[in-house]
Amino acid sequence: MKSIELLGKGEEMHGRAYIKLNAEEVEEAIKKLKENGFNHFVMLSCIDWIDKGKFELVYHLWSYEEKEHVMLSIDIDRNDAKMQSMSHLFPQIETYEREIHEMYGIEFLGNNRLTPFLLEGWHHMPPMRKDFDSQKFVKDLYESIPFIEDKKEDENEGV
Amino acid sequence: MKEYELFIGPQHPGISGNMMYHLWVDGDTVTKAECNVGYLHRGFEKLMESRLWMQNIPLVCRICVPEPDVNEAAYSMAVEQLMGWEIPERAKYIRTIVLELARMAAYLMGIGSYAGSIGIYTLPQWSMGDRDYILDIFEQLTGARVYHIYIWPGGVRWDMPDDLPKLIEKTMDYIEERLKLYDDVLFENRVFFDRAIGVGKIPCDKAIEWGVTGPNLRACGHAYDVRKLEPYAAYDEIDFDVVSYPDLGKFSSHEAGDVYTRMIIRRLEIEQSISIIRQALKKMPEEEHILKHPNWLRWKVPEGYAFSRVESTKGEFGYFVVSDGGLKPVRVHVRGPSYTHGINVAERILKGANIADVSQILFSLDVCPPDIER
Repeated sequence: MKSIELLGKGEEMHGRAYIKLNAEEVEEAIKKLKENGFNHFVMLSCIDWIDKGKFELVYHLWSYEEKEHVMLSIDIDRNDAKMQSMSHLFPQIETYEREIHEMYGIEFLGNNRLTPFLLEGWHHMPPMRKDFDSQKFVKDLYESIPFIEDKKEDENEGV
Repeated sequence: MKEYELFIGPQHPGISGNMMYHLWVDGDTVTKAECNVGYLHRGFEKLMESRLWMQNIPLVCRICVPEPDVNEAAYSMAVEQLMGWEIPERAKYIRTIVLELARMAAYLMGIGSYAGSIGIYTLPQWSMGDRDYILDIFEQLTGARVYHIYIWPGGVRWDMPDDLPKLIEKTMDYIEERLKLYDDVLFENRVFFDRAIGVGKIPCDKAIEWGVTGPNLRACGHAYDVRKLEPYAAYDEIDFDVVSYPDLGKFSSHEAGDVYTRMIIRRLEIEQSISIIRQALKKMPEEEHILKHPNWLRWKVPEGYAFSRVESTKGEFGYFVVSDGGLKPVRVHVRGPSYTHGINVAERILKGANIADVSQILFSLDVCPPDIER
């Protein structure tokens, strides 16, 4: 695959190039790929690997000429989640970083628009983190509404 | 004149869904636009991480309301990639037909809403009515009108009834006839020319860099279509054209990347969809429509990263699915086409537009907030 040749490393995964990089190498790698036809930035994804204590950021790029999809993956420490912003390379990265900042709590240095995006007035843990328990959150917030399983228990007690 | 601020949405007929734009206006000219979303955030991606692989199918379709099937197809394709499955030929053809029907339904809705935004109120009534004939087909095929929950990993949920192809052909003939009326009312109407030509232009040299995809990209002169670039379902066995600027068939071609060209591309793609459906109905083989599934409650999908992409009426839909070999996905990330069109592209091209054109620019980009917020 062209992207693997260009960057000198990586593997093929289900027809896509998957390249593991260090955080410092990402900017150069995206620039190099962009110059070589990978000019469509598809998306920026974040995965929370809570057992391994890290976040994985995946930059997806696509080349219309080569018809090739490349995933650049970097790991960042879960306890000190910081990353350099790439929004100067493709404008839409700004929005993806904004969402990841809100949903995972990752700080993107150099992005001036890390304002609330989808959530409004949110003061809790970033909700897409694996240790955010949505069911517990809902239970705590709307305590007065009985859950179905709670109701069943009460009924059983009555019997 | 003093600059003032204007809010359109989230409840406004001039906005394509429950979203809001914050405009700074000088006289009649927009000087700055900011997109404000969050009214439709339902946390599907978080929810999918706590549900079994099959339980996610009824969720994903809700990510695009006018065209739900693309989500089912993209999610299923990503799971099939991880499983290493090759689906039966018949399922591929049925998927093609379903996706194209959904495409037409979404285009009819999109064209109608666009016409409404420039004050032509006849077309929305017609096109929404005609869309219902397509929903009738869906009802017969899947039992549901809007969210079909029909395309599954491994194939499609039910086989196509024997009498359905006849109904589909009849509906295609009907819509083909109706398109002539649509042309009279909108696409060959002087009002449309005056309002749309040269308005809301996406700079063509920046389009790819800004993440513009689908019909909006083709209006800029880039003939890229996922159905040709990375054929899925049965698209590689079907003959169809990628409609792109400047070749607009019987319609006159003006400026690249403006509202006019974007809408004409959509109009012409309906014809392509009709042709694809007719071909698919002829070529569809007789065989099984689905692979045998493992027990859903104990179904573990092998470890790995998969990305699938599907062409929708809004642009490129992508699903990034990560599995650690367990019963549930670790992460499902959806690339919605409106994520770029509705935010960074719209904010840029609304700058300098007239207030009266804001609505038509947004409808011509086919911005759909559910796929931004998910």
